[in-house]
Amino acid sequence: MDRSIAVWVSAALALVVLIALPLGWLGWLSVSGEHGVTLAHYRDAFADPALQKALWNTIVLAFWVGLVSVAIGAPLAWLTARTDVPARGLIRGLVLASFVTPPFLGAFAWVMLAGPNAGILNTFWRSLTGADTPLLNIFTMPGLIFVVAIYTFPYVYIMVANTLALIASDLEEAAAILGAGRLTVARTVTLPMVLPALASGFILAVLQALALFGSPAILALPAGFHTVTTQIWSLFQFPPKIEQAAAFSVPLLLATALLLDVQKRLLGRRGYAAVGAKGGQRRTIALGPWRWPALAACLVVMSGAIFLPYAMLAKGAFSRAWAQPLSRDNFTLGNFAFTFFEYGSTRAAIVNTLELAVLTACIGAAMVALLSYVTNRRLVVGHQLVAFLVLAPVVVPGVVLAVGLFIAYTRPPFVLYGTLWILFLAYLTKEMPVGYAQADATFRAIPADLEDAGRVLGAGRLRILRDVTAPLAKSGIIAAWCFIFIGVIRELSASILLFTPSTKVMSVVIFDLKEEGQFGAISVLGLVMLALTFATVALVQAALGRDVLGARR
Amino acid sequence: MPGVILKALSKRYGDVGAVDGLSLEVKPGELLALLGPSGCGKTTTLRLVAGFIAPEAGEIWVGDRCLSSPASVVPPERRRMAMIFQSYALWPHMTVAQNVAYGLRFKPGLRRGDRDARVREMLRVVQLAGYEARYPGELSGGQQQRVAVARALVVEPEILLLDEPLSNLDANLREEMRFEIRRLHETFGITTLYVTHDQAEAMVISDRIAVLRSGKVAQAGTADDLYHRPRTRFVAEFIGRTNVVDGIATAFDTVAHGGLRLHVAPGALQPGTRVALSIRPHQVQLSAPVETADGANTFRGTVRRVAFLGDTIDYEVKIAGSDLVVRAAAAPTPRFEVGAAVMLRIAPGACVPLAETE
Repeated sequence: MDRSIAVWVSAALALVVLIALPLGWLGWLSVSGEHGVTLAHYRDAFADPALQKALWNTIVLAFWVGLVSVAIGAPLAWLTARTDVPARGLIRGLVLASFVTPPFLGAFAWVMLAGPNAGILNTFWRSLTGADTPLLNIFTMPGLIFVVAIYTFPYVYIMVANTLALIASDLEEAAAILGAGRLTVARTVTLPMVLPALASGFILAVLQALALFGSPAILALPAGFHTVTTQIWSLFQFPPKIEQAAAFSVPLLLATALLLDVQKRLLGRRGYAAVGAKGGQRRTIALGPWRWPALAACLVVMSGAIFLPYAMLAKGAFSRAWAQPLSRDNFTLGNFAFTFFEYGSTRAAIVNTLELAVLTACIGAAMVALLSYVTNRRLVVGHQLVAFLVLAPVVVPGVVLAVGLFIAYTRPPFVLYGTLWILFLAYLTKEMPVGYAQADATFRAIPADLEDAGRVLGAGRLRILRDVTAPLAKSGIIAAWCFIFIGVIRELSASILLFTPSTKVMSVVIFDLKEEGQFGAISVLGLVMLALTFATVALVQAALGRDVLGARR
Repeated sequence: MPGVILKALSKRYGDVGAVDGLSLEVKPGELLALLGPSGCGKTTTLRLVAGFIAPEAGEIWVGDRCLSSPASVVPPERRRMAMIFQSYALWPHMTVAQNVAYGLRFKPGLRRGDRDARVREMLRVVQLAGYEARYPGELSGGQQQRVAVARALVVEPEILLLDEPLSNLDANLREEMRFEIRRLHETFGITTLYVTHDQAEAMVISDRIAVLRSGKVAQAGTADDLYHRPRTRFVAEFIGRTNVVDGIATAFDTVAHGGLRLHVAPGALQPGTRVALSIRPHQVQLSAPVETADGANTFRGTVRRVAFLGDTIDYEVKIAGSDLVVRAAAAPTPRFEVGAAVMLRIAPGACVPLAETE
């Protein structure tokens, strides 16, 4: 029982520092006035037409991103999971690449591709047709929706592809043998079984769009409109209106919590219960003459998400002027020299990012390993509550978390603002659920029998942890480490509110470079970030022996 | 070689009493099967004995050591036991030899050379010599089972615990392994608790069987005892098939079921009380009808259903002038068809009064 208490006290302390304190302050500040409790901040926030507009923009953005993500993700999932479309492995790889690409890098790339004046696609269009109006303007709501959706559809893809992979063909054949035609089977069996996954993928995509800061900041601000996240950020600019920012954060928090609850119910009711049956063949559907057009359609989508932006970043990194054509004269390594040696804050930011990423990943992985072991083996009373609390930060968008942390740690007893520690707390909180989910799946896959078998033979609990549990859990925990690491190096939405001149991180520097129009340097840092990300993904895949999109081995 | 004594053990999960005042003795060197349907508490009992869970009441004694009581529980690693799991629980990251050798790491004073020799010897005994360097994932189910057995036996435990060890094997292999486990028990003579829900398995393997129901021992005894002298309807129906006839005792050796009178071997029937009789199907004798049907427990009947099972024929016979339908297992000849009139004869000694009518 004393062991129980120790675990509980440390877990509770950690969760208070990470969640309760920031969110508590957030909620309190949003209702506190000079004369006690007041709703004035909410009134101010929601009566302001600018803020109303931002709220509406966010709803439009999130809804359309959800729809577009379903429109892209679901067919792609079906094609790769069920049909004989060529190069399925390649498509899956590209979806994964889109999944791990920091969305704000994609947004920068698309500024270079489809900015109304200098955008490469537009100059190409003008030279091709002689027109003097641009073909595309990325600084619009549809442009923003597009750029967000191409990095958000993997959420739908993952949900649907993993569900399709679990539905045995015999479920469909059972309907066919009873007289249902192919379309009827699809309508009455396959679709209803995939529907929860589809809806839940839609909700995840909506949540991503709600919480996103980078892409709206890059595309919506120049276009002259705000979303909730950029609005919260601008409330933080001088003169800061922290109370209003807090009041404006609360609805975002509640909306996220509500949507996640809906998603959980959707999955809980029919999702996995219905497709849990083991065995059964999954036959692939022959597309016949549609094979190659289907592949072409996939590649068109992927050129929007991967090929064009990546090529653009590469071109930007190695060109003197990114908008000019490729040529020997235009080639330079000067952007690298500028980024790493001349521009003031880059090197410190890279060091900060790596330090924070390694520190957060190590401490985070250790915490989630311990907590998921404790909850899986039911070592303490109330283990369900521990699991709930560890997963709770999922409902907190990065910007909202940052507002809370800012309020909580700019005042005694913990003054952390201005240090890397406040960023560390933000990252640890934000990445905890992802790491925990991975660690939890790891321990769930290790039957308690394996540990018990060693106990009866004479090994104590700690000895078993070393001899049996640790070797078996190692690769899963390494994967959790990698997920946290990737999450940290790409983090922008919380960092942007919490950094100070001496605690900049890579994503913040990229954001600064935008203000100065330094697209060459942005491209260089973007490539560095992508290289770090893909190296880590490769490490995860090696550790797990499967790609990271899959639900099972 | 100590035995195991369980004294009034109780363990609840929420509102459900998984084990509810269970008392049992496993004699030194004995193989005792804990038999019962799922949810009867047999696995909980085994895990209590292993020390994975603590009892809320009662004690577990091995020899003169009290291993479990509500006040203190000796942890599993200090109980000098070994356990074979339903899932085998072989460590996938260790070779066969490493799996088997694991328990020997905790034997002080055992040199590496001796350890290796004992592992090799044990693998020979379970017929897995030459498989030392394989990983569990590379073995068949039966071979994995043997590794699990070797791992448990090599440490020379005082007590061996088995939790449905054969339920993951296919039918043929299961039959073979029953005899194998029995052979190993006779070789090593380790006091053993064997959990199973399969009555045939329990009867083949064990010296004695404890039938569990709702966390209590319904009856413990040899297979012969339980089959021929079941004390309750539950035990009678769980061990082999049986006909249960409800009735009222009209004399110390007679039971009435409607108009039917069944004679029972003279015993302790209380005239006027309700009583249930167990009659095994193979003790119902069938013959062609004759004119003069008398003698104790001789009835006319009609065949309602016939199933040919190879070595026997399974009949369902309705007894004339009664609502009673009994099942009879008879030799393949003479053979009666559906609708045929037959004579039934049941020896009074084959009618076993059950203690509870429920």
